[in-house]
Amino acid sequence: MLSIMRSEWYKLRKSWVIWLLFIPPLIGLFLGQISMGDIGEANQWIIKLVMANATYALLFLPLITGVVAGFICRYEHQEGGWKQLLALPVTRGKVYLTKYILVLFLVLTMQLLYLGSMLILGAIQGITDPFPWEIVWRSILGGWVATSPLVALQLWMSMIFKNFAAPFSINVIFTLPSLLVINSERFGPYYPWGQPFLMMNIGGEGDNFFFIPWEQLLMVVGGSFIVFFFGGYLYFQRKAV
Amino acid sequence: MEYIVETNQLTKQFGKEKAVDGVEIRIPKGEIYGFLGPNGAGKTTTIRMLLGLMRPSSGSVHLFGKDLKNNRIAILKRVGSLVENPSYYPHLTAYENLEAIRKIVDVPRARMKEVLKLVRLQDAANKKVKGFSLGMKQRLGIAAALLHQPELLILDEPTNGLDPSGIIEMRKLIKQLPEKYGITVVISSHLLSEVDQMATTVGVISKGKMIFQDSIEAMRRIAQASIHLRVNDPKAVHQALLVYGQKADIKENSVAIQTTADEEVASIVQYLVEQGFAIYRVEEEKRSLENIFLEMTKEEQIR
Repeated sequence: MLSIMRSEWYKLRKSWVIWLLFIPPLIGLFLGQISMGDIGEANQWIIKLVMANATYALLFLPLITGVVAGFICRYEHQEGGWKQLLALPVTRGKVYLTKYILVLFLVLTMQLLYLGSMLILGAIQGITDPFPWEIVWRSILGGWVATSPLVALQLWMSMIFKNFAAPFSINVIFTLPSLLVINSERFGPYYPWGQPFLMMNIGGEGDNFFFIPWEQLLMVVGGSFIVFFFGGYLYFQRKAV
Repeated sequence: MEYIVETNQLTKQFGKEKAVDGVEIRIPKGEIYGFLGPNGAGKTTTIRMLLGLMRPSSGSVHLFGKDLKNNRIAILKRVGSLVENPSYYPHLTAYENLEAIRKIVDVPRARMKEVLKLVRLQDAANKKVKGFSLGMKQRLGIAAALLHQPELLILDEPTNGLDPSGIIEMRKLIKQLPEKYGITVVISSHLLSEVDQMATTVGVISKGKMIFQDSIEAMRRIAQASIHLRVNDPKAVHQALLVYGQKADIKENSVAIQTTADEEVASIVQYLVEQGFAIYRVEEEKRSLENIFLEMTKEEQIR
């Protein structure tokens, strides 16, 4: 497993995908710069974070996640990588798990970069209020957890389609509606693509550790993770290459 | 006898059509096995099943005497492969491509230089594979297949798209593998001429069925030459030859005899002339292996 991980990481770091991870944090930085608003919050950081988090978590986090998952399969599809890799002494389960963990790791990296960009934003704007670390950590981790089922689905789709555009389109089709769905009290909590926003929404239900009720976390995030992860796992086990 | 590759009633069905139908492969150690058949006959599907890339609909694959189903990892550690077009990561250099594989198969770094040298790519090691010619990609594919010092090398159409000098080079490289390293080689092709100079055993597949499997010598024997006599009355000549004690076959307007010994041909001709037949032509017909191969696969297609 470790040797597969080393090989996968080697292939990945030699590509330019890593640089994609900087895009959402940079956009967050930009949006934070231009955003203005008064949401009746005393701490300047919170105002900035609420503004920047919304676009980041609703759009760029899920979209870039899909692109990264697509890329980690793309170079296998391109010139017969799958058949070369799977004819080596590896099990398919381990290859699948390795790729999943790797994407998850990259998403976590992106979350931390985003955190960094927010700190930079504050420095640029000269915010002197104390940085709300405790809340911010919860949102950074929460956004990551909420993305884990989406990573699984994107990986599954990227393994099916040789064409890079197909899984990306699927991702867009499911991501864009969340702009509307999260506003619905009835459907918002059940829409997997809306969860990264809800779990990063530090202005949300502050009583819960992850800004959403635990039942919602388990049912929606946990449930969709199980469906997507094992769906992809079983598909990959049977995939003819 | 112990076989390195042994399949039992190997079958793969796509919908209603059987792409591979009850194939029984037997390959002893140290052979170069030419796996022949026209395009679409089921070669690649069979090879994919040999490597566990595709599940058989029924039947089994045994490599090194072990069932592939239950010993996949242990078996694949001893197998190197190149399936259809060469596989590679376009964003990596030749050296990096091998490194990505080396991290999994865990051999010393020095082995990469060795295999690159073996396929004469040492000078292109640090170039991106994207820009390689097809021949270079094929050679890199072979280097990758040899990286972990396999005991069985499976090459699917390795000469596809190579120029004649590339084919000769590939042939030289493959031919030395059993002698030098004790590797058993399976090499598939749709052209007999590509393998007949190196293969020691031949399997011919057509429409998913194995229609011939034996040594290359056995195939050559089938290809032996015959003498065709064009005569005025083939039927009567045929009769006369049978009376004379010579086996013969009637063709369209000639009679074919299997013997090619000068003396025998001379006496047969003399006999026929004495019997009053008019002989127009005495021709030797040599059937090339390629013709035999084409006939084999053609008959199967008509059926």
